[in-house]
Amino acid sequence: MDAERGLMAKVARGDHAAFAELAQRYSGKLLAVAGRLLGSRADAEDAVQRAFLQCFAGAAGYDPRWAVSTWLYRILTNVCVDELRRRATRTAHDERSVAGALSDASSNHRPPAAYLDLHRALALVPREARVLLALRYVDGLSYGELARIRGISINTVKSQLARGKALLRAELGKRGAGHA
Amino acid sequence: MHDTMDDGKRPDRLDRLLTDYFRPEMAAADLPRRIAAAARESTTALERLEARLGIEATARGISRVGTGPVGKPATAAARRLIEQARLEIHEYLRGQRAFFRVPVDLTTVPDFQRSVLEAARHIPFGEARAYAWIAARVGHPRAVRAVGTALGRNPVPLILPCHRVWRSDGGLGGYIFGADVKDRLAALERTTPVLEGCTSTRIVCRVGCIHGRHMRPDNRVVFASVEDARSVGYRPCKVCRPAA
Repeated sequence: MDAERGLMAKVARGDHAAFAELAQRYSGKLLAVAGRLLGSRADAEDAVQRAFLQCFAGAAGYDPRWAVSTWLYRILTNVCVDELRRRATRTAHDERSVAGALSDASSNHRPPAAYLDLHRALALVPREARVLLALRYVDGLSYGELARIRGISINTVKSQLARGKALLRAELGKRGAGHA
Repeated sequence: MHDTMDDGKRPDRLDRLLTDYFRPEMAAADLPRRIAAAARESTTALERLEARLGIEATARGISRVGTGPVGKPATAAARRLIEQARLEIHEYLRGQRAFFRVPVDLTTVPDFQRSVLEAARHIPFGEARAYAWIAARVGHPRAVRAVGTALGRNPVPLILPCHRVWRSDGGLGGYIFGADVKDRLAALERTTPVLEGCTSTRIVCRVGCIHGRHMRPDNRVVFASVEDARSVGYRPCKVCRPAA
């Protein structure tokens, strides 16, 4: 933990080697969260890159009371949630040809067959709950960490996760698979 | 990894399925290197543009934004509006603002051009529409070329977003400050969030709201919609009215 905070202090001083090490350490996990939220590998890489760039630009404002991972997940989820907003407005607008030129995001990333039902069921879970589920299961983050990352209360974290999982159970039950 | 997922309960089948599904991915070997390389690049084109900008205003609103020489503001009201526009453009070009509050004064602009500029104003932040979309919206679907000309003479670029109008084939089209700046503005808007909440007040604002200016960086949380923010205990700001 302290080693990571030391790394952040170096990043704040503009140390590119420290920044590369931070990117090396976290890009896999961040990529998993972004990939599951955004659905495509290319979009996920773009989101992770943007999150790291914001991290580099804002490193001087990093508060060492935060775990580095919590701080990075906050930045990454901010980027991903905004990308989801953009997609929602783009889908609402019928003229997609020009909008498509602004962003090549397309959800053509197909998960392995075993997860297809779960993948479809997750699409029905409200966005905030989906974000929390991704963070919870990618890195086993605690309720307290989740609350801090999304700026909400621990009780809200619990109720959102419970609601999301209830929805998943109901959906998977309907499909006759994965019912626990 | 998750021995106790929920309040000490043993993980069930859904927990195991979710854990498998959300397994960390292997990052491409060169991703960290690409990220580090991108950090060395600078986005000075927009900063250079800002340094060259001249702004004129009447007492009613901003009447010109451009790179040529500008006249002195005639009134104190005009001077205040210019200061406001300068600050808003500064924040916008740094990805800290997703809307303009400063009023514009289009009283000397011909009717057709004014309707074209008003139509462009309805293109949401971060999106693009075709010249033909504007033409249809102002009731002259065949006047695509005239729309291009009207946008090309936009007296208040950036504030009225003629840069969000592209060719139907996805091509950039022209721009007052050059195609390179138009391209960078599209990239800027693609990476600027529109809605952010403050974790200490639990209020959600449009990015650029006066409240946001006093928000500490680690208190910022981005939301995809006002409904999403409400669902986790935030309320919309009464100043910038993000739901409106």
